[in-house]
Amino acid sequence: MSNQKPPYSELESYMKEAEKLIHVLRTQQVDAIVGESHVMLVRLKQAEENLKNSRNQLRALATYLLSVRENERTVIARELHDEFGQALTSLQLGLSWMSRKLTPGQRPLQEKIKSLSATTTSLIRSVKNIASELRPGVLDELGLVKTLKSEARGFQGRTGMQCRFKTNIAKAKFDRSAAVAIFRIVQAALTNIARHANASRALITMMKRKSTLILTVMDNGKGVTKRLVYSHDSLGITGMRERTLALGGTFTLGGSKSKGTMLTVRIPLSRVIVGKPSSSPSATLSSPDSR
Amino acid sequence: MKARKRQRGKSANPGGDSYVFRLFVAGNESNSSQARGNLARICEKHIKGRYKIDAVDVLKDAAAAHKNNVLVTPTLILVRPLPRVMLLGNLNDTRRVLAALRLIGDKG
Repeated sequence: MSNQKPPYSELESYMKEAEKLIHVLRTQQVDAIVGESHVMLVRLKQAEENLKNSRNQLRALATYLLSVRENERTVIARELHDEFGQALTSLQLGLSWMSRKLTPGQRPLQEKIKSLSATTTSLIRSVKNIASELRPGVLDELGLVKTLKSEARGFQGRTGMQCRFKTNIAKAKFDRSAAVAIFRIVQAALTNIARHANASRALITMMKRKSTLILTVMDNGKGVTKRLVYSHDSLGITGMRERTLALGGTFTLGGSKSKGTMLTVRIPLSRVIVGKPSSSPSATLSSPDSR
Repeated sequence: MKARKRQRGKSANPGGDSYVFRLFVAGNESNSSQARGNLARICEKHIKGRYKIDAVDVLKDAAAAHKNNVLVTPTLILVRPLPRVMLLGNLNDTRRVLAALRLIGDKG
């Protein structure tokens, strides 16, 4: 047998050295890169730490801004309801009083009052809708589950798309700010479906699995591209992600033309539920609109 | 040379080979400090009294690094006994370091 080394043995040794170098670079065990005339310090860990800190600061700011926005929405909704709502109601009462006082001979005036009364009724409805959009009263009064159920029903009514809601924690008591966050996520997801998905069905589920709350919103539409999911212009998606991260959760959004879009939010149960959560198949609640 | 610090084991052991290391570091940067500590610990445990560490700070003596084909820090060169061995990184994986320095078998 010949002792002569194969012609590529030198190349193999270079490759081994290169692999070692790549390993230390990848595992961040490097402090400096030595050049012919200078040394460049590589402070990867420090840079990573700085990046992490600035991300956390941005997240804290986003959380603060979201809470400010939510408080302002509450105030505006209350003002709208109390001030405009009351004024419009008394206007309508006045119109119907006037209508009763008119004689049958004053027909043109009666027609005018009827028309004004219809406009006032429409205005009252609009104010209610705007106030409800800003801050659904049902969320504070009846809780998250019933609000989501009502949202699914409203979405179906507005868009004509079949929309179902399912949960296995119908009786749980939710933390107030977490409930608002979850509601806003669902609201934003449904808005996206209505605007972009070109779907005919939507399904919202909120399930307890061990110590995690899993919220999903899916549709059978045209799906979503990765570029759109991570685009800075997708403010709705960014808002949903920030709300999720503020609750210590994870956010995933994906889909394809054949499967539609699926949004999944996982949040630690301890951040969402006040007291001990209970779940059982009998507690499963499904929107009555579902067929 | 100013940038070089020499350290010798305290007691000699004439029964084994003497080891000469050259460790290239970048000042007191994190991985360099770890490499210094790890190498000293390994030597004290396995070849006490039979080693010499020549530490080269590339921030003060970059030419020495270049001359020894050192591209990154920390880099450890086993100068003696021959053949020369070059190790990169902070030497945290003791088993692999010992195997590379032929202080234990490859499978440890």
